Amino acid sequence: MADSSIEFKGTSFTLSVLHLKTLKLADIRTNLVKKVAQAPDFFYLFPVMVDIEEVDFSFDYQAIKILLEELKFTFIGFTGSVSKEQRSLIRELGYSFLNAAKVGVPSKKKNNDDVIETKYKETETIRENRLYGDKIHRGQVRSGQQIYAKEQNLVVIGSVSAGAEVIADGNIHIYGSLRGRALAGAKGHHQAQIYCQNLEAELVSINGNYWLSESMNKHWGSPVYIQLTGAELTSSKLI
Amino acid sequence: MARIIVITSGKGGVGKTTSSAAIGIGLASKGHKVVLIDFDIGLRNLDLIMGCERRVVYDFVNVINGEATLNQALIKDKRISSLSILPASQTRDKDALTKENVGKVLEELGKTFEYIICDSPAGIEAGAMMALYYADEAIVTTNPEVSSVRDSDRILGMLSSRSRRAELGLEPIKEHLLLTRYSPKRVAEGEMLSVEDVVDILAIPLLGVIPESPAVLKASNAGEPVILDTESDAGKAYQDVIERLLGETVEFRFLQLEQKSILSRLFGG
Repeated sequence: MADSSIEFKGTSFTLSVLHLKTLKLADIRTNLVKKVAQAPDFFYLFPVMVDIEEVDFSFDYQAIKILLEELKFTFIGFTGSVSKEQRSLIRELGYSFLNAAKVGVPSKKKNNDDVIETKYKETETIRENRLYGDKIHRGQVRSGQQIYAKEQNLVVIGSVSAGAEVIADGNIHIYGSLRGRALAGAKGHHQAQIYCQNLEAELVSINGNYWLSESMNKHWGSPVYIQLTGAELTSSKLI
Repeated sequence: MARIIVITSGKGGVGKTTSSAAIGIGLASKGHKVVLIDFDIGLRNLDLIMGCERRVVYDFVNVINGEATLNQALIKDKRISSLSILPASQTRDKDALTKENVGKVLEELGKTFEYIICDSPAGIEAGAMMALYYADEAIVTTNPEVSSVRDSDRILGMLSSRSRRAELGLEPIKEHLLLTRYSPKRVAEGEMLSVEDVVDILAIPLLGVIPESPAVLKASNAGEPVILDTESDAGKAYQDVIERLLGETVEFRFLQLEQKSILSRLFGG
């Protein structure tokens, strides 16, 4: 049996990227200080990447790293669409360079920036969904029972009784009636969805945004799927 | 080895003891050796419903504590010789029961009897858990009423997770739904949950539907289990339950409103 005390797993995180528009460190410093002062707790140890697409080769990479660390950010590395030479220079200096995930159809038209943006945002979403495997529960989930699909999607082959709770970090699919509570995207996955063949739930929630039964009048008793549109839950008929 | 059937519900007062008594008599009448055990320590009722309350000398707890043998505690039914009752203690604490000592008693009973029927107390605490732990089959007694259905669902969850079969990963307990105190008139009026509603929520096979009947109260007070009242609707419904338990397919009676003909309405009856 393969024994391993460590394991590397590919995981997606949403990282903030600081886009630099000027070479002047003094200006950068002033603006950064102002920003941090707005919410010092929020920015404390805030992980940040620095996008250097708009700065040139001669930029003082070390200075920006020191500045960020002085202001108590957690500097991760550089990013941006830059030349191979610039990337090698950064590596030689001992800093990480990461490419933002651009999986999917690459558009050859570089002047149509909006298109590229949207395309890679969509595929990033799909990638996030595919990260989760499925936990399958066969049989009814009875009152008082709780099923938690940790870092997985949940598929229930049966109904979820009133007083029962099904929770998943990913999506929830119920081949039966949902009469209890279903909480999807439990760890912050905003795109999680809930599917069931008969909506009679006590509560549904996606990433903390919830509906009680009173909000489900539109599709009560029907096969539905529920998703988050912005910060609002929406239900749609399945068939 | 005997077949252990638990009659449980979660909710109180739905008809567990009434059904245990009826099913005990019914199975024994078919020639099987049956023992009925009252698991409701401290609130014993089974002996009353069976009409043997004046013959209780030793009880379940006495046997567990070694103060009496099974033979001394078991009460033979006066009507059917192949039926015996093991009454509960009225004065003792149910803490006397443990999985081990209950298991030993059941094992000993299994040597002489074909069916061991455990009449469970209400609730989901130790008494009810003890009654369902060793079960091979469960008859979940439910009234067509929302709180009873919710509690039955809860007990079904316990049957599939806290029983011996669940713990050892054996074949799961065979679950049956027994719907009691059913009134087709009130269902038609929309006041009561229908059979379909209950089966849809609980999703277990329907064993029987016992109509609401004055015969049940009469039977309790007389100490004569209602299945012996062969004229009553409840008695007949319990007869059907016995057939189905033994594997026969019987159509469900007493589900529809009785249409009284003009003659019977004029002349009564």
